[in-house]
Amino acid sequence: MSTTAPGVTTHTPQTAATGRSLVIAVAGSGGDGVALLGDLLLSIAAHQGLYGMLVQSYGPQIRGGESAVVLRLSETEVAYEGDQTDLLVCFRTSDLKRFRGSMHLHEQSVLVLDSGDEGELPEWLGTTSREIMRYPFATRAAGVEVAGEPKNMMALALIAKALGWAPELAERALEERFAHRPHLLSADVKAYRAAWVQLQVPAMTRLTGHGLPLEVETGNEAVAHGALAAGLRFFAGYPITPSSEVMETLLDELPAAGGTVVQAEDEIAALGMVVGASFGGVPSMTATSGPGLSLMTEMMGLASMAEIPAVIVDCQRAGPATGMPSRTEQSDLFHAVYGGHGDFPRAVLGVFDVVHAHTLMYKAFALAEDYQLPVLVLSDAYVAQRRQIRGATPARSTVPRRWRWTSDDSPARFKLKGDQVVTPFRVPGTPGGTYLAAGIEHTEDGTPTSDTNMHQRMNERRFRKLPAIALDTADWVRTFGAADAPRGIIAWGSMYGLLREWVLAHPEYRVFLPEILLPFPLDALAAWRKGLSETVTLELSHQGQFHRYLSSLTDMSGVRSIARSGGLPMSAPELATLLSATLSSALSPTSAAAAEKEAS
Amino acid sequence: MRPADLRTELEPVWCSGCGDFGVLKGLTQALTDLEVAPEKLAVISGIGCSSRLAGYVKAYAFNSIHGRALPIATGLKLSRPEMTTVVVGGDGDGFSIGLGHIPHAVRRDTDLTYAVLDNGIYGLTKGQASPTTERDTKRGRGMAGAEDAPLDPVLLVLSSGCGFVARSHAGHLPHLRQMLREAIQYPGFAFVHVLAGCVTYQPKGYADGLLEHSFPVPETHDPTNLDQAMNLARDPRFALGLIYKRPRD
Repeated sequence: MSTTAPGVTTHTPQTAATGRSLVIAVAGSGGDGVALLGDLLLSIAAHQGLYGMLVQSYGPQIRGGESAVVLRLSETEVAYEGDQTDLLVCFRTSDLKRFRGSMHLHEQSVLVLDSGDEGELPEWLGTTSREIMRYPFATRAAGVEVAGEPKNMMALALIAKALGWAPELAERALEERFAHRPHLLSADVKAYRAAWVQLQVPAMTRLTGHGLPLEVETGNEAVAHGALAAGLRFFAGYPITPSSEVMETLLDELPAAGGTVVQAEDEIAALGMVVGASFGGVPSMTATSGPGLSLMTEMMGLASMAEIPAVIVDCQRAGPATGMPSRTEQSDLFHAVYGGHGDFPRAVLGVFDVVHAHTLMYKAFALAEDYQLPVLVLSDAYVAQRRQIRGATPARSTVPRRWRWTSDDSPARFKLKGDQVVTPFRVPGTPGGTYLAAGIEHTEDGTPTSDTNMHQRMNERRFRKLPAIALDTADWVRTFGAADAPRGIIAWGSMYGLLREWVLAHPEYRVFLPEILLPFPLDALAAWRKGLSETVTLELSHQGQFHRYLSSLTDMSGVRSIARSGGLPMSAPELATLLSATLSSALSPTSAAAAEKEAS
Repeated sequence: MRPADLRTELEPVWCSGCGDFGVLKGLTQALTDLEVAPEKLAVISGIGCSSRLAGYVKAYAFNSIHGRALPIATGLKLSRPEMTTVVVGGDGDGFSIGLGHIPHAVRRDTDLTYAVLDNGIYGLTKGQASPTTERDTKRGRGMAGAEDAPLDPVLLVLSSGCGFVARSHAGHLPHLRQMLREAIQYPGFAFVHVLAGCVTYQPKGYADGLLEHSFPVPETHDPTNLDQAMNLARDPRFALGLIYKRPRD
């Protein structure tokens, strides 16, 4: 772990100059193969060394029903799906109504519809000055749609052609994908080739990849892979949208690494098993969403009380109870930071995107193993469910290692000596190390007690972990934009992708994103806030949880809150509107400089 | 090694004459018989009078939270298969708040021994009805639920598919020692139902009444026969002994 003097924000904004990018959207119904088409396009792009990301939208049902993908391809790394649709392929206009807000046409957009589709386009979609193109995607008999050539293969040919991709790129991707299903493969390739010959489409901006193949990964896969690289050896979980793929990925990969995966009977058992495995000395993790985190809360307190490392990933979704399971939100912050009865220390981290998940999971395990407490990692549906193209992940030669007790160490498991923060962990099987781990308050050697003085001293010792973690993590922040930009945005988690691009288009802004939310890097925030004339917090939470939380930690007077319920992620046009409604006056960089001069 | 070598220096908090003393003794005896070294032993419990037992055995012990001993023990056993892992608890911990975990622990068949001291009462919280409280029990305050039919723990685990099911009595030490020993030796999930009284919240003579209401598993009983085991468990009296032991493949 790095130790940096507090108050020093060391990160230089590493925003790549914006390369050229294109946004492609495809909308249809279950069975049209929209999701597969999106995956194929992304993997073909990755193969050429192009970057990009894909988000999928569903109707109200998770399985079946309407389905759409929005895909952004770019010459540089992106973690935001863009807000202007350059090419929209829609198999059925009636399906569009479910995707309000996910796609927006502009002046030069290419819009492709089915030849037999006479439906109206919704007003919110916007318009293009280009002529609408029509292709016979659907096969009809007596006016009714019947099974025909695969629409997604026709669209694949059309989009690949528009992008200027060589025809064999898509064929290679199909062969890779369907090598085990030769009949399907030959039918798809046939339809793809026929469409390639028949369909004409205007050429779009030509994107040039760097030629070295890149990886495609979802946020949930990245969390799983990051945990594996950090030494994870035990996982227990319970299926829940939008986190289930963390468990599914680990089912495929953890046993081969010598670890164990259990699908538990519920989330209480899932975290219980994690606590049990970690009591056994093994780095352990669970992943869930908000409803599961609620069930895990008592066990989280136990892990902290008994000083057992545990990593808990929460892929936040919208709303309490069932809410909107496939939609994103940032509204579990209060629960992560404050949830639980009694006083207990825990650490809370926030994931930015797929790339970040790799480093952040390592950091999560480092904190859990070093400080013997629960560490929550807040992801969300927007990060978890996206597919993102990324470069190589950091190579690691070591993994976090718990401080292990030997017979030379103190006989007391929970020694209250001086300002000691943690004590060596006793791994079952070690001779002479037997002890009682307990959720009941205990003395130094684990003996249950109801001595109030002991409770006070034990709380003091357990809570000593937080300032120690704060020292280690003082620079766990990411900042973007010019250091003297007058307007500031404080945000967290998946706002990263949008804000990284926002500062490029709006140089009067700078951005502060903490990687760690508890303990919050307050000194770094204070240093970053110097010279700002206007500041907002930005989040997807109806209550403005992030703003309220920060207000409880530091003076936030004058900092406005931009907070709305989740569902759709924030887009750049929406942010522009919200900022202009929130901030008092239009502030140009020159007037900002003047304001600053005046202030000094 | 003597059973006393497996005891910590802690004095049990139990009332004098509590059946938990019997379980503690029977368990340390069985573990001594099997020569389980303290560092290879894990004792996991939830919350309740009997769950305090974890602190009295020299082991990697965990006195956790109410009803959750089984998942914690499962995680430990899967990550440290070399540990002999014993779960102890009471009827409230196991059959009320923790009931949801039992059939799944049975299904997973992780090599755990689960000993439940069943005194038919919530002792630690002072005498409320538990899921095994006899129907229409009326003994003062806090007896909501006593009008409900009690659960039968043995039928419950048998019907879930448990591979090892035995019953004993906390006051019947040599028998309890033997049942616990066999359960620990069984290489899968093993359940031992231990009948006991509560000297404070059950009437005088309750524990003796249980014993009088019991009978030894007949010699003719075939413990590998599930039908016979179910029939034995359905007997309104308590069959004491090895009720079911599924042959391992």
